[in-house]
Amino acid sequence: MKMVNAFNMKRAAAGLRRINLDGLRWRVFDAKGQILGRLASQIATVVQGKDKPTYTPNRDDGDMCIVLNAKDVCVTGRKLTDKVYYWHTGQVLCLKHFSLNIDIMVYRYVGHLKERTFKDQMAKDPTEVIRKAVLRMLPRNKLRDDRDRKLRIFPGSEHPFGDRPLEPYVMPPRSVREMRPRERRAMVRAQKKAEQQQQNTDGTKKGKKREAPEESA
Amino acid sequence: MTRIKRGYIARKRRTKIRLFTSSFRGAHSRLTRTISQQKIKALVSANRDRDRKKRGFRGLWIHRINAIIGKNKKKQYNRYSNLLYNMYKGQWLLNHKIVAQMGILKGNCLLMIANEIIT
Repeated sequence: MKMVNAFNMKRAAAGLRRINLDGLRWRVFDAKGQILGRLASQIATVVQGKDKPTYTPNRDDGDMCIVLNAKDVCVTGRKLTDKVYYWHTGQVLCLKHFSLNIDIMVYRYVGHLKERTFKDQMAKDPTEVIRKAVLRMLPRNKLRDDRDRKLRIFPGSEHPFGDRPLEPYVMPPRSVREMRPRERRAMVRAQKKAEQQQQNTDGTKKGKKREAPEESA
Repeated sequence: MTRIKRGYIARKRRTKIRLFTSSFRGAHSRLTRTISQQKIKALVSANRDRDRKKRGFRGLWIHRINAIIGKNKKKQYNRYSNLLYNMYKGQWLLNHKIVAQMGILKGNCLLMIANEIIT
């Protein structure tokens, strides 16, 4: 997988000639506040064309997907710090058969396992996060690269496709599970703390207000 | 015993097989022994896949029906499973192929009918 160092607007708009755009819709996904995996799963179904009645598995007929506000995509749990993207560098020269059962990859250049946390990846290039998520949800076949070309992801809400007929995509209704007891207790505690703090600030404010009319009087 | 040459009996048999395998790739259409093997494999695949084809198309129709029914946002349970259940309940006897074709060509008709049937 290629790692882009920074977001390039020109690159995001390029390569449209390679796609046969007749009859394809332009769907706009707003990633603001959406959870990464759930959004990516919906995007993957749309990019494959699986929500059309004319779906054919050997032909790529998915819609063009534009994802906006990629920097505002959320993850649950501790994934912000704990989710790590791994990739291996080094170039494989050939697969050597040492015996009939063993295949060993011979490397031309020695590389290493590299890793990057979710937080760092978002800082570097937030579009890659969504792109990886969606690409890894697509079937690994010959159409995967064409489907990649139909995905256009932007970190903010600006995009160069303003003149196209865009359709916003409405996410299907989601049932959020109720909070786990520990989380709920933590949330209640945090709420109480916030209320107490507010009361303290209100108390000082009331004190000042009482002083002011006394002074005026 | 008098000597009998085999002549071209084997060749006659093999040319028929060669004709069958004439469009195969590489050695599979050129070398005699592999030609015989490949013809057998091809016929086996064809036989097995004639039944697989039926399965495959049925799956594709189900997928397509699910896709078109899901577009109807009015009903709560807009799924293939619900449509089928209500079809059987309402005794609306159509096979999957026709329903899928309806979905492609006359999507609105199918959605209208689905609205009425799905409770």
